[in-house]
Amino acid sequence: MAAPARTGSSSWRQFAAILRKDIIMELRTFEMLTSMGLYTMLTLVIYQIALSQSGSGFDVRLIAAGLLWLAFVFTSMLGLNRSLVHEKDQGCLEALLLSPVDRPVIFLAKAVGNLVFLLIVETITMPLFFVMFLSGRTLGGAWWMIPLALLVGSIGIAGVGTLLATISVNTRGRDFILSVLFIPVMYPLLLAAVGATSAAILGNPGFVEEFWRDMALAGGYDAIMLLAAYGLYEFVIGA
Amino acid sequence: MDRKKLTYIVLAVACVATTVGFLLAFFVAAPAQMLRTLDSGKGAIMGSGFVSHPIDFGQKIFYFHVPVAIASFTIFFFTAFYGVRFLMTRDRKYDTKSRIATEVTLIFVVLTMITGDLWTRWSWGVWWTWEPRLTTYFIMMLLVIGYFVLRASVEDEEKRAVYAAAFGIIAFLDAPLSFAITRIVPAGSEVHPVVIGVPGGLEGSQLAAFLISMFGMIAFGYVIYQLRYREERAKERLEVLKAALED
Repeated sequence: MAAPARTGSSSWRQFAAILRKDIIMELRTFEMLTSMGLYTMLTLVIYQIALSQSGSGFDVRLIAAGLLWLAFVFTSMLGLNRSLVHEKDQGCLEALLLSPVDRPVIFLAKAVGNLVFLLIVETITMPLFFVMFLSGRTLGGAWWMIPLALLVGSIGIAGVGTLLATISVNTRGRDFILSVLFIPVMYPLLLAAVGATSAAILGNPGFVEEFWRDMALAGGYDAIMLLAAYGLYEFVIGA
Repeated sequence: MDRKKLTYIVLAVACVATTVGFLLAFFVAAPAQMLRTLDSGKGAIMGSGFVSHPIDFGQKIFYFHVPVAIASFTIFFFTAFYGVRFLMTRDRKYDTKSRIATEVTLIFVVLTMITGDLWTRWSWGVWWTWEPRLTTYFIMMLLVIGYFVLRASVEDEEKRAVYAAAFGIIAFLDAPLSFAITRIVPAGSEVHPVVIGVPGGLEGSQLAAFLISMFGMIAFGYVIYQLRYREERAKERLEVLKAALED
């Protein structure tokens, strides 16, 4: 047994250590944030192409929530894959497993790390998206509704995504396998998150109830799937 | 009673039940009531056109389509169940069982998709619509296919079994969630009829035909599962014997 922890419980210190490691590694290279951020911007260019023939009469707000989430889904897959490929290829995962760290702690630390990076990319992308596609149009809901929807959706993406990325990084077709597993599993969450975001953007009559209903569904998905992912991670990472 | 005998008995029961259910559906079951608003006379607006059919004969596929769908979901449960058993015991037997259950699920999901598609084309006038149940089954099909893609891409047997079990459990949890959420979230009306547990749903003669067909389909699922499992076990035993001979 190790000596009693000096500050806080030992699980908390292990958690903080793994998270700090991920963030320091990212601050040294900025590899994940650059690739994820650039990828979202490229997605925005594709949106411009897709919308180029729609004319000025078309209200982009109708599909804005879907476009926004589409960009985040694809960029999050890129990030999730990256975050575990590093661990795997540099032998860091083995070292983590050898060290006396509880397996669930590894899951929570990796998931929170992925969530932080995803939230940073979303924070950069959101204003860009609004300036580029929605400038001059009014938002229907309160300003805090969209960030809240993004947060709840991102928690599910980071949590379940970390489990699936840990699986896919050990397979032959890494990124391909991740997308095959990730998109259908994420489907219900994305639908609810797009519903909530869309309600906040459009502000149609009754949008507040619609927003909270969809948020409750997304939150319910998060609760069920995160519990399952938390329980299964120990088996998956030990395999 | 040994498994082999039981399998053949269940097979006989399955054949009789599905045949009887089929005959009942065509000759005894009362004509569709819940589809009257959609089909006969009034017609319905779906996709780009107005659809109307003089007879609701197409509704008879209900007695095939819904039992198959229920059977697929029943068998999918065993993917997750044996997945949990495998993770608890690490017994390879359960991995094989879980995989075979998923194979049978895939057969039934594909059957559901095909019969459902024929029915939507006839009744609603479109090949496809993003409606809760259709969407859920499409997602479920992708999950099941994903399960096999995952298995195919892991070489280490131990890892493959663990990953497949974990994904099987996640996929099984995901299917009802996507059903619930697709039913509540999208703006727009529901076209897929709700027939079970609502007043004015199925009448006695319809319910009998439906239940018999459903029972038969689930029995078929069990038979396919058992036969495939016996085949796999025989294969595994053969591999062990081969390895022993080489030594």
